[in-house]
Amino acid sequence: MMMAGPVLELRNLNKDIPRPGREPFAIFNDINLSVREGEFVSVVGPSGCGKTTMLRVLNGLLPHSGGEILLDGKAADQVSDQLLMGFVFQGASLLPWRTSLKNVLLGLEGRGHNPQEAEQVAKKFLDLVGLNGFENHYPHELSGGMQQRVNLARALAVNPRILLMDEPFAALDAQTRSFMQLELLRIWAETKKTVIFVTHMIAEAVLLSDRVIVFSHRPGTIRSEFNIPLPRPRDMDIKSNPQFLDLENQIWKQIEQEVKAAGGFAQL
Amino acid sequence: MNEDRRNLSPLLLRLGSVLAGLLAWHYAAEVLIKDSSILVSPLVVLSKAYEMMIATGELYPHLFASSVIFFYGFVMAILVGVPLGFLMALSPLVRDYVNPWMTTLYTAPRIAFAPVLLLWFGIGAGSKVAIVFLGCLFPVLINSYYGMRVVNREYVELARSYRLDRWALFRKILLPASVPYILAGVRLAIGRGLTGVAIAEWFGATEGLGYLIFFAGQTLNIPVLFVGVAVFAVLGILGFEIVRRVEIYTTPWRGQAQGG
Repeated sequence: MMMAGPVLELRNLNKDIPRPGREPFAIFNDINLSVREGEFVSVVGPSGCGKTTMLRVLNGLLPHSGGEILLDGKAADQVSDQLLMGFVFQGASLLPWRTSLKNVLLGLEGRGHNPQEAEQVAKKFLDLVGLNGFENHYPHELSGGMQQRVNLARALAVNPRILLMDEPFAALDAQTRSFMQLELLRIWAETKKTVIFVTHMIAEAVLLSDRVIVFSHRPGTIRSEFNIPLPRPRDMDIKSNPQFLDLENQIWKQIEQEVKAAGGFAQL
Repeated sequence: MNEDRRNLSPLLLRLGSVLAGLLAWHYAAEVLIKDSSILVSPLVVLSKAYEMMIATGELYPHLFASSVIFFYGFVMAILVGVPLGFLMALSPLVRDYVNPWMTTLYTAPRIAFAPVLLLWFGIGAGSKVAIVFLGCLFPVLINSYYGMRVVNREYVELARSYRLDRWALFRKILLPASVPYILAGVRLAIGRGLTGVAIAEWFGATEGLGYLIFFAGQTLNIPVLFVGVAVFAVLGILGFEIVRRVEIYTTPWRGQAQGG
């Protein structure tokens, strides 16, 4: 179903941590962002800028301190018990005592699905992420890339309105990471999900996204936005496209400035 | 192939170690000491065991009496220890109430409690079961508590992200994550429970393996004494093996990680 307005809208969203006897510790400030249906948005920024915290706030794992989160135009806290956002964790966070299939089923259990149906759904998404035949494997029997595939299938299986991804490929080796980026592009094209993707790798953000948001240093706020008009479908060849390199370079310069403003590289 | 070789050598090592121990024992008894009122060869113990089990059958009433005592104390300890440990992990109130008692009773020497328990529960099965219960309780209680407390934060977050309710969080995350810890506690409880049986039967018992050992010691019947000790050892090994099978059955996911 197509909505006229944005899927997600953040208005003056901020998050701080109260400290007794001192002013609150601000994590991020004044985030204004709207995300269209089916859009792939990446968030990059210097370490500690609050980008991961923002994802956790969006997922309801942390409360926000001010501002609004609107999902399809409605305040998110009023609809928060529904699974409107699926979270793909940085560590795969698979339960070691559950097989791939059972891990994907976790989000579907206890939601009034009949068990056979739920299993069909879980299998469908395991297929989608390329794990056909690995349904009965335990996490310790899977490679890091495969574990992240299960992580992704689990998030997709609950049919979330928005997919939140927190540096899902950070722990993978460079080669696996590249393959997973291409896989994610394919899966995104097939599912047409709206994605918010946090990463510290600029090339990854440019490769995947329709739009890249650059956060300032902490307290994080949106410093700039880059539309990525590169044609789709994309593959690794695009990384040598002059426009790709130019975008990567521009974004890098901004992050570099932010890191310097925060006290220089020694702060990293 | 490779795995076979890796599995074979520890087995050989273990068998070799047991054999070497028995040989050293035999050598010490037959060559070094040569005094059957102090030490007898494992062969003598074996023939005595054969006699007591097959020829006269006099071992069985003792074995049965001890097993019953152990079983009741052990099972009660699990029935009390696991839920209480969970409650302590989930409720700071329960934890703060139980903690001082747990620390005191756990660290106090159990043998010191035996005469008191005897006084309270009489010289029948009650006091013996109580001694075994006390021995088994704390490893199970402490491990159940600890296992549930150290559950990976990531899993708890996962549960929140997928909006699992409290009962689902307990059943699907906390409980399965605690199972390996509980089983480790149960394993410890077997050893402590058997010690408990031995202690309990030293005080005013008329049967049981502990009584058998105690009586044999008093009458310098060294072969019988060693048979009693050996039966305890076999029971311990048997118990460990049962827990190991339960472990494999309940936590197949631990696979290779078992040792780590």
